[in-house]
Amino acid sequence: MASMRARNKIRAPRRSHASTPTEDFDAIWKVLASSLSGIHTKNASSLSFEELYRNAYRIVTLSRGLELYERVKALEKDWLHNHVRSQVTDSILPILLRAENGADRGMLVQEQSNERRAAAERFLSVLKETWQDHLVCMSMITDVLMYMDRTVSGDRSNPSIFVVSMALFRDNVLRVPVRPDLSITVEHVLHSTILFLVQLERDGHMIDRPLIRHCVSMLEGLYETVMEEETSRLYITTFEPLFLNASQDFYRAEGARLLEEGDATTFCRQALKRIAEEQERCNVTLSASTEPKINQVIDKELILPNIGEVVRMEGTGVRHMLDQKQLDSLRDLYTLNARVDEKKSVLTQELSNRIIELGHEINTMSLAPPPPPPPPSASGPTQNGDQATPENGKRPKDPKKEKNAEKEKPVNTQTVSAIKWVDEILALKRQIDNVWLHSFKSDQTLHKSIDDSFGEFINRNTRSSEFLSLFFDENLKKGIKGKTEDEVDALLDNGILLLRYIKDKDLFETYYKKHLARRLLMKKSASMDAERQMISKMKMEVGNQFTQRIESMFRDMAISQDLTTSYKKYMSQTNAADDDRPDLEVHVLTSTMWPMDVMGKNKDKAEAPPCVYPHQIKTLKESFERFYLDKHSGRQLSWQAAMGSADIRAKFVRSNGKVQRYELNVSTYMMVILLLFNDIADGEALTFTQIQERTQIPENDLIRNLQSLAVAPKTRVLKKEPMSKDVKPTDRFSFNHEFQSPFVKVRIGVVAGNANKVESRGQREETEKKLNEERRHIIEAAVVRIMKQRKRLTHLNLMNEVLAQLTSRFVPDVKMVKQRIDSLIDREYLERLGDEASTYVYLA
Amino acid sequence: MASQTDSVYVTLVSSDGFEFIIPRSAACISGTIRRMLDPASKFSEALTGRCVLETLNGVVLEKVCEYFLYNEKHKDQVNVPDMEIPAELCLELLMAADYLDT
Repeated sequence: MASMRARNKIRAPRRSHASTPTEDFDAIWKVLASSLSGIHTKNASSLSFEELYRNAYRIVTLSRGLELYERVKALEKDWLHNHVRSQVTDSILPILLRAENGADRGMLVQEQSNERRAAAERFLSVLKETWQDHLVCMSMITDVLMYMDRTVSGDRSNPSIFVVSMALFRDNVLRVPVRPDLSITVEHVLHSTILFLVQLERDGHMIDRPLIRHCVSMLEGLYETVMEEETSRLYITTFEPLFLNASQDFYRAEGARLLEEGDATTFCRQALKRIAEEQERCNVTLSASTEPKINQVIDKELILPNIGEVVRMEGTGVRHMLDQKQLDSLRDLYTLNARVDEKKSVLTQELSNRIIELGHEINTMSLAPPPPPPPPSASGPTQNGDQATPENGKRPKDPKKEKNAEKEKPVNTQTVSAIKWVDEILALKRQIDNVWLHSFKSDQTLHKSIDDSFGEFINRNTRSSEFLSLFFDENLKKGIKGKTEDEVDALLDNGILLLRYIKDKDLFETYYKKHLARRLLMKKSASMDAERQMISKMKMEVGNQFTQRIESMFRDMAISQDLTTSYKKYMSQTNAADDDRPDLEVHVLTSTMWPMDVMGKNKDKAEAPPCVYPHQIKTLKESFERFYLDKHSGRQLSWQAAMGSADIRAKFVRSNGKVQRYELNVSTYMMVILLLFNDIADGEALTFTQIQERTQIPENDLIRNLQSLAVAPKTRVLKKEPMSKDVKPTDRFSFNHEFQSPFVKVRIGVVAGNANKVESRGQREETEKKLNEERRHIIEAAVVRIMKQRKRLTHLNLMNEVLAQLTSRFVPDVKMVKQRIDSLIDREYLERLGDEASTYVYLA
Repeated sequence: MASQTDSVYVTLVSSDGFEFIIPRSAACISGTIRRMLDPASKFSEALTGRCVLETLNGVVLEKVCEYFLYNEKHKDQVNVPDMEIPAELCLELLMAADYLDT
């Protein structure tokens, strides 16, 4: 019981140390001080941590911790001042000081530089050693004095003994004069030494990177204040600015030097190499925190002031790189430019300049007469190409002179050059796209600028719409033969790509319709599938409205086919006996959807007098008219002979009595002409005027058809008196019984007018005039649409809306829009608001 | 001797000569002992793996060691059973804890 109670009693702790008065403060300190010195002299292994710790513990429990703290501080200061400092200063050789004294670093000769380098490395390694010793000793001492730190630094705002010792190192080792008589401190020498070594490395020498790294980490481990804020690291406050300054000077000089060399590729490569070097230097040798800063320095000193010049550099700049397809150099350049400029404006500018320039060349090439003379087709028409009115397509710089220059140039060469134009643009586009993909990292800003540049020069060629349409025409006629579906697809996609750039899409539509009409009516289209594919592509690209009319052309064709079949059926039912009746194939076309000028209608003569058909054809025609109008009452059929064709079986009686039969495939007009000769006796002749009177074929068409029949050497079915190339009103024609041809079937093409080719100047003006007329209506419609909705709008807003609505089709001329608005005001659709002349009101 | 540096066990010696051999990891729960045994410091304790703790007697050190192992066993656990601490040792243990930075 008693023992239990005794067990449970709380015993007072035995204060053995306090109770021994012999161990007073001074005695303990003496032991401690000698032990601490022992730690510095690396004799720790003979010391017992426990003993030191116990001693420090005792002093603190004697409430003299602060005193101990101060004594340790003094001891450390004394140690650093008397032992460490001299060790460090002794390692600084005079050569380091000399450089520091102002001898130009760059002026050092190689030998001196080597000497200095050795000295530098020695100094740094001594410093590194000292620092590491200090670190180890201090961490040991701090461990021993942990109990003191806990009470002294914990209660009061005293920094821990470790921090204090770091500050002591800073003040007593780094910030002391190297020699008593000099103002240069160890710190200064350290800085200049590191900079010197960095410079050496930049010049291509190997240096001891880890050594520098250690010294830098020392600077990073030291702070300006005992608070040890992140920003007060010695590295940041002292060394980094110096390093950046030195780098700034270096890169400024480097930039100037590289520019002088005058090679853009080298510049870029070197600059990128420098950037990588600096990055590595920051990560391996210096501090990673410097990387963004040194990058800024490079950007500011090396790239920014020079990039413009590099890009434009004569003979090696962007232009040269583009021409030589130096994708790597371009990529380097792009990387550099992207560093300093989000928009890459210099590069963008130069790139678009070059594209426009190249585009111009292509434009000029296609418009100027190409040097190789075309195959002599002047003597007679070939299968598709024909000789016709001289072509004059150049913009009116010096019309007269050019007209002469191009006088000799047949139209089909022009067509070829139009197609070449498209091909070349596509090639250019492919090339640029390739560059964009590989060198410019598919940059969006650049893509836009490339697009803009293409649009710019394509639209600068006033005939781009026509050329593009010709390109499609050519390809759909024969280009796609023997190609796979994918190839056709790619081909059409390419064309569509260009269509995207063309601003005047309505102009393109006009041409496309015209060319399409010819393809359809003359059955020249190679593949209907391809045609349809093309239309669906256009629909996707430009919109429904754009292809509406083109689609209706296809619809007409399909309906016509049905119509022909049902007419045939109808005929065979009604009068099956009549075998002599020629077969008829009709295309009934909606006049508003088809480009009527293709059908031979001329603007000047509002309605050409109908051609007089021979009686067989006339009966046929009338019969069909009856048939058609039965089905669709209230419609009017007008016959377009200019676009038709006919197969004729002709009999040629040779002089020796033999009969040779040929099947002639001729145009409707030719058929009419040839049938005339059925009615006259053999050997008799008809004059041009007679033919004209009897057939009523328009003079232009008649001349062309007679040329094919009587002038072209291979298809001379008629004889002409006198034999000459031109057809004159006085010429006489007679049937040529001696007609020879290696084939039984002979196709006689009509000269010009039928093949799709570049328009002549007159035609072009015609097209433009018509186009403008159409545009006027579209603009008016747009204005009314907008005003109807808004009721009241200022002039500026109205203009903007109109432009916004119409740009998908074409770029309206502001003047034209103004005129349309005026005209609408005249017709009282709109009204100017009384007091504000610039505001319009819609009148319902 | 060097083998002691990285040995798994360390020896703690009380002022009255009792020796306790416990895992190093358990002993290092004490900040003081951890520093004492830190291989980076070159003190004799670190080299020998033997700590003579002059301020602690055998009874207290036994309890301290018990705590070390108890702590290590129940590390990162919740709802741990309380350790039994005799009332008469309380003050001395508190002082030991202060000294050992536990």
